[in-house]
Amino acid sequence: MRHTLYTSAAALALTAGLAHADAHMPFVAGEGGFNWDSYNAYADATDLSGQSVTIAGPWLSPEADRFDILLNYFEAATGAEATYTGSDSFEQQIVIDAEAGSAPNIAVFPQPGLAAVMAGNGLLTPLGDEMAAWVNENYAAGQSWVDLGTYADADGNDQFYGFFFNVNVKSLVWYVPENFEDAGYDVPETMEELLALSEQIVADGETPWCIGLGSGAATGWPATDWVEDIMLRTQTPDVYDQWVTNEIPFNDPRVVNAIETFGTFARTDGWVQGGAGAVATTDFRDSPTGLFASPPGCYMHRQASFIPAFFPEGTEVGEDADFFYFPSFEGEDLGNPVLGGGTLMAVTDMNDATMGFMAFLQTPFAHEIMMAQGGFLTPHSGVNLDTYSSAVESGQGEILLNATTFRFDGSDLMPGAIGAGSFWTGMVDYAGGADAMDVATQIQESWEALQ
Amino acid sequence: MDNIAGKKSGLTWAVHISVAALVLLWIFPTLGLLISSFRTTDQIRTSGWWAALFPAVQNETLRTADPDDFRVGRDGYFVLEGNLYVVDGAVETPDDVVADVSVWGTSSREIDAYLPGETADLGDGETMTVQSNGDYIWTGNDEQLSGRGQRVFVTAESPPEFTLRNYQSVLFDPGNREGMSKAFFNTLTVTIPATIIPILIAAFAAYALAWMDFPGRALLVAAVVALLVVPLQLALIPLLSLHNDIGIGKGYLGVWLAHTGFGLPLAIYLLRNYMVGLPRDIIESAKVDGATDFQIFTKIVLPLSFPALASFAIFQFLWTWNDLLVAMVFLIDSSGETTVMTRQIVELLGTRGGDWEILATSAFVSIAVPLIVFFSMQRYLVRGLLAGSVK
Repeated sequence: MRHTLYTSAAALALTAGLAHADAHMPFVAGEGGFNWDSYNAYADATDLSGQSVTIAGPWLSPEADRFDILLNYFEAATGAEATYTGSDSFEQQIVIDAEAGSAPNIAVFPQPGLAAVMAGNGLLTPLGDEMAAWVNENYAAGQSWVDLGTYADADGNDQFYGFFFNVNVKSLVWYVPENFEDAGYDVPETMEELLALSEQIVADGETPWCIGLGSGAATGWPATDWVEDIMLRTQTPDVYDQWVTNEIPFNDPRVVNAIETFGTFARTDGWVQGGAGAVATTDFRDSPTGLFASPPGCYMHRQASFIPAFFPEGTEVGEDADFFYFPSFEGEDLGNPVLGGGTLMAVTDMNDATMGFMAFLQTPFAHEIMMAQGGFLTPHSGVNLDTYSSAVESGQGEILLNATTFRFDGSDLMPGAIGAGSFWTGMVDYAGGADAMDVATQIQESWEALQ
Repeated sequence: MDNIAGKKSGLTWAVHISVAALVLLWIFPTLGLLISSFRTTDQIRTSGWWAALFPAVQNETLRTADPDDFRVGRDGYFVLEGNLYVVDGAVETPDDVVADVSVWGTSSREIDAYLPGETADLGDGETMTVQSNGDYIWTGNDEQLSGRGQRVFVTAESPPEFTLRNYQSVLFDPGNREGMSKAFFNTLTVTIPATIIPILIAAFAAYALAWMDFPGRALLVAAVVALLVVPLQLALIPLLSLHNDIGIGKGYLGVWLAHTGFGLPLAIYLLRNYMVGLPRDIIESAKVDGATDFQIFTKIVLPLSFPALASFAIFQFLWTWNDLLVAMVFLIDSSGETTVMTRQIVELLGTRGGDWEILATSAFVSIAVPLIVFFSMQRYLVRGLLAGSVK
C-alpha cells in the first residue's frame, strides 16, 4: 500500500515536471523554421546526465528569461542541469568570484576588455584551436570574431577564449522610406552614392542629416561611432586595431582624415538639421525626430540598432522608418566592414558539461531559438534568417552575414579615460568648430599622460 | 539720522524690485515645469510651454485607414472614406474634431499643396479630397488603393490641449515603468520617521539644556554648537561600516538613525535657544506649585515652543525629502526595492533623458509635497527662524 502511494506520488511529480518543462519550452519540436536536425543530432550525441553547468552574466530580465528558455532545451537534450544567474554588478562580481575560486563555469562578458584582463591573470580556460577554427569557418567575418576572442594568457601566449553569442550592429543609417519615395531618392549602395545623395538633398533645398551628440555626462559618444565607422571604411582593419591600442598615435593623418570625413557630414553648412552649431547640443535621443517631422527636418540618421526606442510613439519600424547599411567606399577595396558590439562567453571553470554547453552553442538551433525570441543577432552563417522575430532584425542579421570585417566599438576597447573621456570631449570640441588635428593631438596627449 | 525706524527708506523701490525679481526667478521655472507636465511629448518637442496656453498651428503627418480592410468597391473603382483624426486615434468621432485644417498635401515635399475641400490629383485617375475637419475621400483603382494608408500632411490650428496621462503613467501605471509611485512611498517612509524622531529627542534635550541645572551644562551646549560645523560627509563611511558591524546594514532603520544624528545638533540648538527665551516666571511658579520637570515640559514648555518645533519640522522634512546622498549611502542597495524619489529622478535622467514630459511630471510630483508642507506651515517658519535670536 505504502509502495503504491510512493509510486503514484512519483508519477505525479513526473507529470508536474513535464508540464513545467512544456511551459518553458515554447517552441514545439519539429515546427517552425528551426534547424531541429542540428538539435536532435546534438541531443543524440551528447549525454551529460547528472552533471551541471553554471553561467553568470549581465543579462537581467527579459534577456535572462530568453536565455533560460535556451537552457531548458539544453537540459532536455543532455540531461544536465544548467543555471543562469544575472547581476547588474556582474563585472565586479565575476572578478571577486574568480579570484576567490568560486567562479561559475561560464561567464558572459559584455565586452572583451575584462575578459582579456582575466585571461591574462590565468582565470579563464582556453577553448582550444578546434573551437577557434569552427568560429573562423562558421561565423561571417570569422577571423574578426576569432581575433576578438583571442587574448594573451598568463604566460603571454595568445589563446582563443571568447565565444561571441549575441551581437549588435552600429553601422546603420535610418530613413523614412516614404519620404525617399516622395522625393525620388534611392537607397545608396556605396559611400560615393551616399555623399552624392547628401549633395542632391542639399541642392533640392532640404537637409540630409540629423546628428545629435548630446547625452548628459556622456555627451560626444555618438560621434565616436561615426569616426570608428569611417576609419573602417577608409583604412584596413589592421590600422583600426593599431589605432584602438594606440600603436599609431591618435593624431596620425589617417585618423585625422576620418575625423575630417565626419566633419563633412556634421560641419558642412546645410548638411545637418539645425546647422553645424547645433550638433553638439542636440540630445541624441531627440535627434531622430527630424526624420518624422512635417515637412521632414532631415532625411537620414546614422545610429545603432537600439535607436527605434526613441522614435515617436506609434512609429512602425520597417514601415514608417527603415534602415540601410552605412555603405563602404567603392573606391577603397575594403569589403563590407561592420561596427558593433556584443557579449561573449568564456569558460571560468572547465568541466565536461561546460564543454558540452559550448558545443551546444555551435548548433544553428541554439542561435535560432534566441533569434525567435527577439533582441538577439548572430553572425552564425548556418542559421535560417526567417526565424528572426521581426523583419528589422532579419535585415540586421543579413548585414552581419554580409560583413567581411567586424570590429568592436573602438571607444569601448580604449582605456576609459580616452574611450569614455577625452575622445568624447574632443569630438564635442571638433563639432563645435575646433581643428581636427588639434583635437586629435589633445586626445593623444591625454593618452600619453596615462602611460 | 533720517534712516531711523518709523521712516521710509529712500531705497524702498530697490527692495521691491529685487523681491519681484526673486519671485519671478522662482515662479517661472516652477510654472514651466507644471505646464510641461500636462503636455504630450509631441507638444513639448514642437513648442515651448509658454505657447501651450494659446491655439497653435501644427504640421502633422496623418494616415488614412488601411485600404485593404476598409475600401469599398464602386463601379470598377474603389473608394475609401473616413476622418484622418479618427484614424489617428486623436478623437472618437468626426464631430469631436477640434482642429481646423488650413492646408494639406500628400507629398512630404509639398505639405501645403491644397486647400480644404480641394481635390488632389494623384495621377492615373487616383484622387483625394480632404475637408477642414479631416474628413477624406480617396478614390482609385485596385492597385492604387492597396498596401498601407496614404500619408496626408495637414497644417491645422488646434486649441490648447492638456493631458493627465503623464501623471497617470508616472504614478498609477500598473507596470510601474517609471517606478515613481513606489519611490514616492519609500520617500515618505524615510521622511516621516526621520522628521519625528529627531524632534522627540531634541525637545527633551533642549529642555534639559535650557532649564535643568546640572554640572557641565554649558560645556554640553558648546559641544552641540561645535557639532553644527562638522560636515556630515565626514561621517558617512565610518557610520556605514558601524551599521554593517552592528547588523543594521542598509535599510530604513539605518537611514532614520543617520538623518536623526545629522539633524540633532541644529534641532537641539534651535529649540534650546527658543526655550531659554520663555518667561522664567511661569516655569518657576510651576516649580513652586510642585510640578516635576516632566510636567513642566509637557504642560508648559512644549505648547509654548510649538512655533520652534514646527519650523524645525519643516527644515528637517524638506532636507530629508530632497536628500540623495544619505539615502544613497544608508538605504539604496542593489535590490532596487528601496529607491527614493531623488534617486529615481537621477535614474530617469539617464534612461528617459529625452522624455521631458516624464521628467517634468516626476519633478513636479517630487516638489508637490514640500510645497504643500511649506505653504501650510510657512507662518511658523519665520517665527521659528527668529527663535532665540530676539529676546
